[in-house]
Amino acid sequence: MCPIDCQQALKQIELFLDGELDPSLHAEVRQHLGGCGSCADRSEFQRHLKELLKAKCGCDQVPAHLVERVSRLLHETPPA
Amino acid sequence: MARSRAAPPDDPVLKERFERDVLPLLPNLFSAALRLTRNPSDAEDLVQEAYLRAFRGFSGFEEGTNLRAWMYRILTNTFINTYRKKQREPVTVQEDDLEDWYLYDKLGETGVEPSAEAEVLRRMPDEDVQRALEDLPEGFRLAVLLADVEGFAYKEIAEILDIPIGTVMSRLHRGRRALEKALWEKVRERGLVSD
Repeated sequence: MCPIDCQQALKQIELFLDGELDPSLHAEVRQHLGGCGSCADRSEFQRHLKELLKAKCGCDQVPAHLVERVSRLLHETPPA
Repeated sequence: MARSRAAPPDDPVLKERFERDVLPLLPNLFSAALRLTRNPSDAEDLVQEAYLRAFRGFSGFEEGTNLRAWMYRILTNTFINTYRKKQREPVTVQEDDLEDWYLYDKLGETGVEPSAEAEVLRRMPDEDVQRALEDLPEGFRLAVLLADVEGFAYKEIAEILDIPIGTVMSRLHRGRRALEKALWEKVRERGLVSD
């Protein structure tokens, strides 16, 4: 089996980083990235972008009164 | 009196399980609600309403199935059915002409070395990145939020939004391209790269 080329690898980066490739294709992409600095740079950039989104868009401070409101709700509402 | 109306839950075990397993999701749900409603007051109301619906429906939740996905489904449904109507429409994105690697290539064109590109992004203020995400059209925003911020798998996102996996992949791909374009505009506005 021929190893995948840059074009094929880059096409799969999104699914690769999302962990959505089947194991054999995942291994092929990983192998390509191990030997191709240019594709590895692109892949690393996209990975950083995903991490950035998680860090900057998912860590808001929860107001204390909201925690209190929700807790109170549970104590005052019987399940149906 | 409020206390007399507040009948105790019928099943203390159920309530205990809800408090143990669902309450800890609150910080993430609040962040998601902020990205969806785009303002703290509506986000708080959305979270509270979602928790109320979840608690009332918790006896129907099948233990051992995906609790996080179940809760996010309630949150997104509550948002779509209740809060979306009064939201301002986000900016329309002409995503069809966006190429893959948009942001990477734009940064490269300004002479930023690949090793320094991630650093440019890290220097962006949180609110710039949040606003870029919040301004995406709703379908794109939900897909990117659930995948990249909340870390759900495609299959889970398909279940949460009740859409086919192919649609998840398409919205995610197009949403990420549109987000990169918005981030690039923020990078330039902030002067984080020299033209």
